[in-house]
Amino acid sequence: MENRPYFIFGDLVANLSVGILSALLCAALFDIDNNMFFAMIVGMLVGMILAMILGAGLFFRYFGAMEVMIPTSLTGMIAGMIVSMWAAMGPMSTSGAIFLGAFSAVLSLIITYRLQAEISGIQEGV
Amino acid sequence: MSDANLQTEAHPQTDKVTQRKWDNAAKAFDFMTGIGPDKRWGPYKSLMLANMKADAEILFLALGTGLDIQFFPPQRNIHAIDISPKMLENAQARIDQYDGSIHAQTMDVHQMSFEKEKFNQVFTSCTFCSVPNPIGGLKALYQVMKPGADLYMFEHTGSKRYPFKLMMDLMTPLTSRVGPDMNRSTIENVQQAGFNIQQVNNVYLDVVKIIHATKPQ
Repeated sequence: MENRPYFIFGDLVANLSVGILSALLCAALFDIDNNMFFAMIVGMLVGMILAMILGAGLFFRYFGAMEVMIPTSLTGMIAGMIVSMWAAMGPMSTSGAIFLGAFSAVLSLIITYRLQAEISGIQEGV
Repeated sequence: MSDANLQTEAHPQTDKVTQRKWDNAAKAFDFMTGIGPDKRWGPYKSLMLANMKADAEILFLALGTGLDIQFFPPQRNIHAIDISPKMLENAQARIDQYDGSIHAQTMDVHQMSFEKEKFNQVFTSCTFCSVPNPIGGLKALYQVMKPGADLYMFEHTGSKRYPFKLMMDLMTPLTSRVGPDMNRSTIENVQQAGFNIQQVNNVYLDVVKIIHATKPQ
């Protein structure tokens, strides 16, 4: 599991940025007039594409390729899905979107760090 | 200093589409990968490349701009190929600084001009995410390796775990236009090409990994 402070800090910054921006974008894109299922699917894609754009433009260079791309894409998908669904069901405040974006980032990092601890390492004779 | 020899004339049947893609990527390649990925993967690449033997005929596949040369052990005799002449031009300074011998050539893995069963060891680094016909490329490597020779690969592959598998399948149509595929089944491809897998070391999830395989005796 990653234990170098520089990369842990980078993971946190990259995922919080993607989560919060995806959430704000999806909160702006969808409202109560949208179908919830449609909003959820489009929101997931919006979050994932935003993660790839921000990753390639800003974060890969400094913090790694796959180690940034995979958790940030998951963060974007979760944030986009939750916020789009929420916005399609009722009003979504800016602070609420920011909170859900940050929550998605932390959740994604917990999932990927935990899985990394579980499956990294040597497998003999696959 | 390296006993360097850079040959940038490619085989006439070289895959020009792939060559153009990586020629276009050459200018920004160091900018994109020179800090984060380099530092993140450096310790693992060093670990894999430490297996380069002093008395072995070694092939390093897809040298790129030579970022991995810093991890090569000194005093090795290495043949290195890359499909992109622009990448190899950018690698020249690093080739010159290597304390050993690197003979770098522009060559498509599918059209290698090496004699059969030449190499004792073959190393790849983030290569088979981009080779258009990965099984064909691995079979070509098999041909130039001696029986019992070692294949060491540092590669990113697709994931078998959801939701990562879905994400990487969705990303691949976009990423493959400018660079690598995200969802390759490299371990299965290595086995299909006839190699025996000895060890897989998962570096990041089940995506970034070091694969050690051997050509059967």
